[in-house]
Amino acid sequence: MLIAALRDLQWRKRRFAIAIVGTGLVFAMTLVLTGLANGFRVEATRTVDSLGLDAFLVKSGATGPFLGSAAFPPTMLQLPGVSASVPLVYGSATMPDRDSARSVNVFGAPERGPGIPALADGHPPSATDEVVVSNTMGKSIGDTVEIGSRPLRIVGLVDDSTALAGQPNIFLTTAGAQKLLFSGQSLITSVGLQGRPATAPDGFRIVDRNGAIDDLLRALSGARQAMTLMAGLLWLVAASIVGSMIYMSAMERTRDFAVFKAVGVPTRSILAGLAMQAVIVAVLAAVLGGVLSVMLGPLFPMRVDIPPIAFLLLPVVAVTIGVLASVAGLRRAVTVDPARAFGGP
Amino acid sequence: MADLRIKDLVVEYASGQESVRPINELSLNVPAGSLAILLGPSGCGKTTLLSCLGGILKPTAGRIEFGDIDVTELDASALSAYRRNTVGIVFQAFNLVPSLTALENVMVPLRAAKVPTKRARERAEELLARVGLSHRMSYRPGDLSGGQQQRVAVARAIALDPPLLIADEPTAHLDYIQVEEVLTLIRELASGERVVVVATHDTRMLPLADNVVELVPHLDADEHEPETVILAAGETLFEQGTMGDSIYVVTEGEIEMFRELATGGEGMLKVAGPGDYFGEMGPLFALPRSATARARTDAVVIGYTVQGFRELLGTLGSRDLIEHKALHREG
Repeated sequence: MLIAALRDLQWRKRRFAIAIVGTGLVFAMTLVLTGLANGFRVEATRTVDSLGLDAFLVKSGATGPFLGSAAFPPTMLQLPGVSASVPLVYGSATMPDRDSARSVNVFGAPERGPGIPALADGHPPSATDEVVVSNTMGKSIGDTVEIGSRPLRIVGLVDDSTALAGQPNIFLTTAGAQKLLFSGQSLITSVGLQGRPATAPDGFRIVDRNGAIDDLLRALSGARQAMTLMAGLLWLVAASIVGSMIYMSAMERTRDFAVFKAVGVPTRSILAGLAMQAVIVAVLAAVLGGVLSVMLGPLFPMRVDIPPIAFLLLPVVAVTIGVLASVAGLRRAVTVDPARAFGGP
Repeated sequence: MADLRIKDLVVEYASGQESVRPINELSLNVPAGSLAILLGPSGCGKTTLLSCLGGILKPTAGRIEFGDIDVTELDASALSAYRRNTVGIVFQAFNLVPSLTALENVMVPLRAAKVPTKRARERAEELLARVGLSHRMSYRPGDLSGGQQQRVAVARAIALDPPLLIADEPTAHLDYIQVEEVLTLIRELASGERVVVVATHDTRMLPLADNVVELVPHLDADEHEPETVILAAGETLFEQGTMGDSIYVVTEGEIEMFRELATGGEGMLKVAGPGDYFGEMGPLFALPRSATARARTDAVVIGYTVQGFRELLGTLGSRDLIEHKALHREG
C-alpha cells in the first residue's frame, strides 16, 4: 500500500512539511554541534601542524607543550635523531577589544627556524615588539596591538590561525614572548624538535604531534563532551518529532487501516507504507538539515568544521531514526481490528 | 455453485463485566445467485453476523461454510486471503480512504491481490464506468456525493469479482435518490453465482430480497388477559436474550434478575418482591430480554401485555414506566 502512504503524505502535506522543517532544523543543529566539536580539533591540528615541528620536549611533570606545560630555563641539547631544535614559549594573554577583552594564544619561537608558521603576508618577527597575528583578528600589517599591556607592531599575517574555540594565535620571537609572558625571564615551555629522538634526556619527556594537539584541546574537553551529549539529545528530539508525527498519522488512519485489513490488504503492506512515510520524512529532513547546517555554520563565532562523513552518515542515521521512531505507530497499525471498519462514521 | 451455509452460529462477547450473545444458534442457507437481507433493529447482531461472514470476527460456536470453504476453520493468514479473494464488503459509512481518488480506492484490493498496476487501473476504470462514475475517477471522496461514494465503495467491493458480497446498512447515509441508485446496483450484483448479504433496518429494501432473515423475530402483539404464573423456587421465568411480550408483577415471593457474566458466573441485578414489576423494557421496545428472571422463592407473578399494563398503570405514563416508578395499586 505504498501508493496509499504516498497519497497520505500529499493529503497531509502541511503537517508533514512542518515535521520535515522541524526535524531538518534539529538535524542542522546536530550537524553544527558536530562541526563545532570537530572544529576544536581541526584548529588545534592546524595550529600544531603550522609550527613545522615533529615533537616537543617538555619537563617530565608537564602534560604537554602548551596548556599543560611547565616553564624551564633554555637547555642546549644534543639528541640523536634530531635535525633541529628550537626553544618555544607558549602562553595566554589578553588584548582590549572595544569595551571588553579578548584572549589570544601567544607563541614564541626564533625568527629563523621552525616554530613560526608560513605567513600569508609580511615577514616573521625579528624584534621583541614585533608580532605576527592571525588574519581572523581583522588587523593589518603596520597596525599596533596592545597585548598584555605591551604595544606590539604587526609585521605579518597568518591565514586563519586559531585555537581554543576561535581564539586568534599570535607569534613573537622567543625573547618577545618571554617579555610578554614571563616579564623577560629566560624561560621556555618546550623545545620544538624536528626529527625523531629515540629517548628523552633525564627530567624531560617527548610529546609527539598528536600529544601536542590533545594538549591544546585539553581545556575544551568538557565543552566537547557537552556538545556530544547535546548532539545525542538532538537525535532523540528528531526521533521524537518523526515518531510523534507517524504515530498521529497512524491514530488518524485507524479506520483506513481497518478497511485495508477488511479488504484483505496484508498487515505487512500497511506497515511498509507507514515505515516508508517515516523514512521519506527523515531523509528529506536530513537533506534540509545538511543545507541549513552549511548556511548556519558561518554565522557562528567559532570554527564549524562539519566532517564530510557526517553528511554521509546523516541520511543513514535519519532513516534508522525514522524507522525506530515509527515503531509506536507501527504497533498501533498492527493492533487495529478490521472489525472497526464496520459501524457508522 | 457456492451456497452460503450457516449452522448453529453463536457469537458471544464480553461487554464490560457482562456477557452478551447477539447471535444465538442461528442457522441459515443462502443459495448462490441470491440476495439475502438481514433485517432487524440496531444491536440485534446484524453487523456481528456480517463480520463473521467476512472473516473478520471469529464466532464462539457453529460453522460458516461458503462453497467448499469452512470459514470458521481458517487461520489468520487464510482469513486474510479469504477476505481478499472471496468476500467483497460494502461498509455503512462508505469507508473510502480520503487521500485516495475514486480510482485509487477501487485499486486498493486489486493491488493487495498483486494485480499489476496497469491491469488494476484498467479494471478499476471498468468498474467505475459500470457504476456510472467514469466522469468522477480522479475525484477524492470528499468531492463526491454520498451516493457516489457508496457506488465507489461497491466498485471496490466487487473489484476482484468476489463470489460473496456483504453490505452493512448500505443506504444508511443516503437520500432517497441515492438510495434508488444503490438499491438498483446491489440488486444487479446478486446475479450469476454471487451471493449478496445485506444487513439493514431499512424495510424499503425488502422487495429486492430473495431471502429475508429477521434476526430478532417479530413478535405479534397478542392481546390477552393477564395470566398468573406460579413458580417454584429456582424455576426460570424467562432467559436473557429471548423475546417476550409480558410485563410481570410479583404478587407473592421473590424473583431475582441477573445477567450472565463474561467470566461465566451470574451478576445479580435486583430482587423483585410483592408489588414490584419487571421485564417491561423488552416488550415496550421489542428488544430481547436483557436479563434472566428466576424465582428466588416459591412465587406467583401476573403477566400483562403492554396494553394491559398501561391500563393497570392508570395515571402513570410511559415515562414513569421507563423510569420504573413504583406501582401504586389500590386495594
